[in-house]
Amino acid sequence: MSGAVTNRVLLAVALALAAVYLFPLYWMYVTSLKTQSSIFAVPPEFLPGAPQWDNYATIWEVANILRYIGNSLVIASGVTLITALVGSGCAYVLARYRNGWIDAALFAVLMLQVLPPSLMVTPIFVGFASVGLLEYPRFATILAFSAKTMPFFVILCRAAFMTVPRELEEAALVDGNSRIGAFFMIVLPLARNGLLISALLVFMNGFGEYVYSASIIADNRLQPASIGMTNFLQPNVVNWNAIMAFAATYVTPILAAFVLLQRQIVNGLTAGALK
Amino acid sequence: MTYQIELDRVEKHYGRFHALKEISLAIPKGQFVALVGPSGCGKSTLLRSIAGLERITSGTLRIAGEPVDDLPPRKRDLAMVFQSYALYPHMSVRDNLTYALRLKGVSRAERARRAEEVAAVIGLETLLDRRPRELSGGQRQRVAMGRAIIRQPRAFLFDEPLSNLDAALRVRMRKEVRALHDRIGATSVYVTHDQIEAMTMADHVVVLQAGRIEQQGTPVALYDRPANRFVAGFIGSPAMNFIPGVIAGDGRAVRLALPGNPMLETTIAGTPGLQVEVGIRPEHMVLGSPDAPDALPLVVNAVETTGAASYLFTEGEPELIVTTEGTATIRAGDTIGVSVDPARVHLFEPETGASLRSASL
Repeated sequence: MSGAVTNRVLLAVALALAAVYLFPLYWMYVTSLKTQSSIFAVPPEFLPGAPQWDNYATIWEVANILRYIGNSLVIASGVTLITALVGSGCAYVLARYRNGWIDAALFAVLMLQVLPPSLMVTPIFVGFASVGLLEYPRFATILAFSAKTMPFFVILCRAAFMTVPRELEEAALVDGNSRIGAFFMIVLPLARNGLLISALLVFMNGFGEYVYSASIIADNRLQPASIGMTNFLQPNVVNWNAIMAFAATYVTPILAAFVLLQRQIVNGLTAGALK
Repeated sequence: MTYQIELDRVEKHYGRFHALKEISLAIPKGQFVALVGPSGCGKSTLLRSIAGLERITSGTLRIAGEPVDDLPPRKRDLAMVFQSYALYPHMSVRDNLTYALRLKGVSRAERARRAEEVAAVIGLETLLDRRPRELSGGQRQRVAMGRAIIRQPRAFLFDEPLSNLDAALRVRMRKEVRALHDRIGATSVYVTHDQIEAMTMADHVVVLQAGRIEQQGTPVALYDRPANRFVAGFIGSPAMNFIPGVIAGDGRAVRLALPGNPMLETTIAGTPGLQVEVGIRPEHMVLGSPDAPDALPLVVNAVETTGAASYLFTEGEPELIVTTEGTATIRAGDTIGVSVDPARVHLFEPETGASLRSASL
């Protein structure tokens, strides 16, 4: 098979896969504009005949979406802040030193990444309860989820730090910097893109967090949007159009950020992979 | 006398690896010192120890008379030029040049003035607002030099700064670096693996091998009176020829282990019957007729010519190199006669490699 044909076939496969993954997104937007009855129409309507913008007004007024998204923002920001502060220091050390202890630490960090939140949530809940952290449920959630995002952030940031040549730091030391000064004035600016992208990914993760919030936050007023959405699922009625409108409002900002920054994100993720 | 840089029995261990062994070195103000040796000899470690990027295990290190063993690099007031130049990629040339001044708290106006001044010295006035990646290799090299001289430090440390440049530029920069050193009256320590660079640039050459100083002295002293076989072989290009031999009965000549066991006169007095390594530089082997009475008859195996000089490689073991001026008319297979000025013959103790000349001096 010639190269051109191979490329075409691969492109077709890629487009097909993208379509499969993007269809639910499309269906979300379409459903959010439908009436309750047209949702179940057969054959299904791929474009809503009469867009029901009221659905959005409903979730805005009745479902308190703003409060939920506010809570999501608080949790995502807190997680990002803690992860970035602690994680970048950790990543820097892991990037700069090479010995048995560092290898062991790296292995431990990778192991953390493997453990799923649903496994961790019970011991964390019990532990937090016994030290009284459940009094501050959003903070408890932030703490618990930071532990989950930390390994991911550390691994990405370590790659970013490793792209900064050591000689630059040494030059800064000879030029009159302290270790800390050289880190902030030379290493950090040069690893900035990788760090920002990693932090952004952590933020988006925190914004969609579900498992820890669901277990730790009991008070409705403190719950994030991921939990708020489930309020529409009731035993007898399911407001699909409202759920979809809620979901659309919830994910569109993230989606927009991703589309705008996708080039940088891809660069940030592959930093260190290529010399 | 206080020296600008003084090392006294400096040792450096990395775990079980003994990187620097009893290094003692005193560098007066204004001297250009080259540290030279094969890769892994410890020359870079020595330079980095002076800079403070490595901690020495024992011994003392003084800069301008002040012990600096416990001082971090920033308190030693030295400037360093790295092999990769290590220019800060996120800063303009101007900011690269003035970074150290900024850290010292020099005012903005003063920084701008000194940047202009240094840019004029290194010939980069028009490039001050460029980023390092927009510069050529030679220009980056100049910025790295400029970043060092703007600080007016107590000494300059160079870590193979020319090795990333192409051959022609390297020869030009060699001269420029030395001229700059003389103009600003600096004290410089220059690490290189290239003995020609060391010989042409330095006042004082330190030859290192396996973490030890083999010999130090002026370039001419190292060339004329190598202390041992290693230095003799390392300094000079092409490298010195070594031929096993035995000191003859009168102690004034050596019988060489070459076909026919020819005799070679020397000016070094030795014990008759002693096994030695005879060292003769290729450029000290003078070509003559193979029939001349004192000539060593040798058969040529291959000829290389550079135009200015030709190198004749001889047949048999050990292979010898003879340098002649210009383009040789000699071809492979010819027999040549070689004579050597007895004063140019070096003798080395085969076991230790020590020069017999230095022993008799």
